[in-house]
Amino acid sequence: MSLDTRTTRSGPVPTPRTRAALPHPAYGKRMRLADSLQILCVASVAIVIAIFLADGGAARFGTPADAFTSLGIVAGLVGTDLLLVMLVLAARLPPIDRAFGHDQAMAVHQSLGKPALYLILGHAVLLITGYALAENVNVFVEVWNMFTSLPDMPLAFLGLALMIGVVVTSLLVVRRKFRYEAWHAVHLLAYLSVLVAIPHQLSVGGLLSEGAIARYYWLALYAAVAAAIVVFRFVLPVVRSLRHQLRVDSIEQVAPGVVSISLVGRRLDLLGASSGQFFIWRFWSAGLWWQAHPFSLSAAPNGRSLRITVRGLGDASAELPRVPRGTRVSFEGPYGLFTESARTSPRVVLIAAGIGVAPIRSLLETVSFAPGTATVLLRSHSLGDTYLVDELTDLCWVRGAELRIIAGERPTGVNTWLPADASRAGITLSKIVPDLLYSDIYICGPRPWTDAVVRDARAGGVPKKQIHYERFDW
Amino acid sequence: MRARAVALATLASVSIVGIGWQLGTQAIDASQNLTAATGGSAASTAATEAAAQAAATAKAAAESAAAAQTQADTANTAASAKVAADAAAAATAAADAASAANAAAVATASSPSGTFTGSVVQTQFGNMQVSVTIANGAITEVTPLQLTNRGGRSVAISNQAAPILRSEVLAAQSASVQNVSGATYTTDGYLRSLQSALDTAGF
Repeated sequence: MSLDTRTTRSGPVPTPRTRAALPHPAYGKRMRLADSLQILCVASVAIVIAIFLADGGAARFGTPADAFTSLGIVAGLVGTDLLLVMLVLAARLPPIDRAFGHDQAMAVHQSLGKPALYLILGHAVLLITGYALAENVNVFVEVWNMFTSLPDMPLAFLGLALMIGVVVTSLLVVRRKFRYEAWHAVHLLAYLSVLVAIPHQLSVGGLLSEGAIARYYWLALYAAVAAAIVVFRFVLPVVRSLRHQLRVDSIEQVAPGVVSISLVGRRLDLLGASSGQFFIWRFWSAGLWWQAHPFSLSAAPNGRSLRITVRGLGDASAELPRVPRGTRVSFEGPYGLFTESARTSPRVVLIAAGIGVAPIRSLLETVSFAPGTATVLLRSHSLGDTYLVDELTDLCWVRGAELRIIAGERPTGVNTWLPADASRAGITLSKIVPDLLYSDIYICGPRPWTDAVVRDARAGGVPKKQIHYERFDW
Repeated sequence: MRARAVALATLASVSIVGIGWQLGTQAIDASQNLTAATGGSAASTAATEAAAQAAATAKAAAESAAAAQTQADTANTAASAKVAADAAAAATAAADAASAANAAAVATASSPSGTFTGSVVQTQFGNMQVSVTIANGAITEVTPLQLTNRGGRSVAISNQAAPILRSEVLAAQSASVQNVSGATYTTDGYLRSLQSALDTAGF
């Protein structure tokens, strides 16, 4: 007995079955922003190719040496453009967060890593080959020539080495072997690798030489990306942390190792935070200050306080339950599109596993739905390890949502988000939730589990735009 | 990406790349026209020189040389291939006259001496210009005044190629020397500027 234990079908109002999937007013606006950003991104690649062509590049493919050289130049231009796009995606720009959300922006950032590296590697290999062919020497001699006779090349090779290091440590297999802090320190070298590659772009090639319009385009691009990173990743968080003066107000034990931490500060209404969003927190107490943790709001922000619910996981966050009251807290955020702003449909399904219940709990408080049109699914190993169930039960009662707890171990070797017996019985999301196709589905849990829920929802015919998820590992 | 975003992004990219292509084509055409024009004016310079010599030595040649000069002047102002071809024809005519004149003059006239500056030749990688020093009818020195310098690689290439070209020219005593591999643009510009200097010298 593991599937479906407690059901609180409630609410004073009868269940209206809204059939028509009304487009949510926020959806059109958000998608227009998303479209513009995507078009801008694609156009930036087109612009660098156009710059190459405008310089008469199309005429320089006649000999093998010229062809290698020209392809190498194009690979370098496009690769560098993608690197800048990656930096912008990681810069936590408000429009990108509004249009795609942090999770999706980082997913795109991640997916661009390998193509960008291949293009930059291709740039090096093609140009070494092209130059070697032109000068009629072997590639080793050519590399030596580059080091000795061309300006800024040692720095460029250093940049390439750093970039290989950054991408390799980010491959999932390798990344799992590192602590987050170690991985992150290596990852920050990406900035250095882009930076040290700039001089050779301006001094070696003719394309970006003194006086060329392309030179000023690229310099402007670099300046804009640098400004975005400095402002939104560093200046804004510091300014906000100083302005709002957050402190730990109270700590409430939810379950063994799980606490809800309430934070108070000045003018929290100015943050513009909404239910379901997360912040990256840093608690300024001994043993904790050197780590920053992303935690979601577990209660709707009310302008006076913010609440997070945290499970101590192995590292220093195990210390969090003991953090003293009054501890200063600095933060980056709020981030994420796991909010009402992502809505597209009239009905709502909220699905959480483990501590993923935190943003689901705050969403349930404020997300808009008619009584009887929302379902909350809690997934856990056993009934004992569900968190915030009492709060959820109360909220479901007040708002007229159905709460189901689905407990039981997942079967080994089968890719499912459900317990073994439910999976064997052929239960799917669309069998558990009525009118799934007219629902926005919010999913929060560990990455593989989340992916399994998304697959189930997609298999049930739910369009991508109705599925929203936040995966809480790094 | 939504379908409309894909469509708009494609449209935008195709237009941007198209504009780049168009600008590139114009740039390539311009550099080819430049080559034709430079060739034309070099020919006309040769024609002018030859015509002047011819006029000084042989009365009979003077009339045809004057005709050639008129045509050559036209070639100076118009850069079209047709006019250039006309100029080349005129140059041939004038050169015929000149060779007849030279044959008479060679016994008496002394060989050219001094330093002569070549014309500026534009290449994709910057301007090229050389000067040539001639003493007693022999090329004794070629000095680069401007070398292709668009980007560090271009500088490296021209710095490497210039000494090779200089020694080849001194050995061959003319601008007809082999291309330096890996330095096609530098070689081309160098030799064209050199040729114009030799033409000025009447070498």
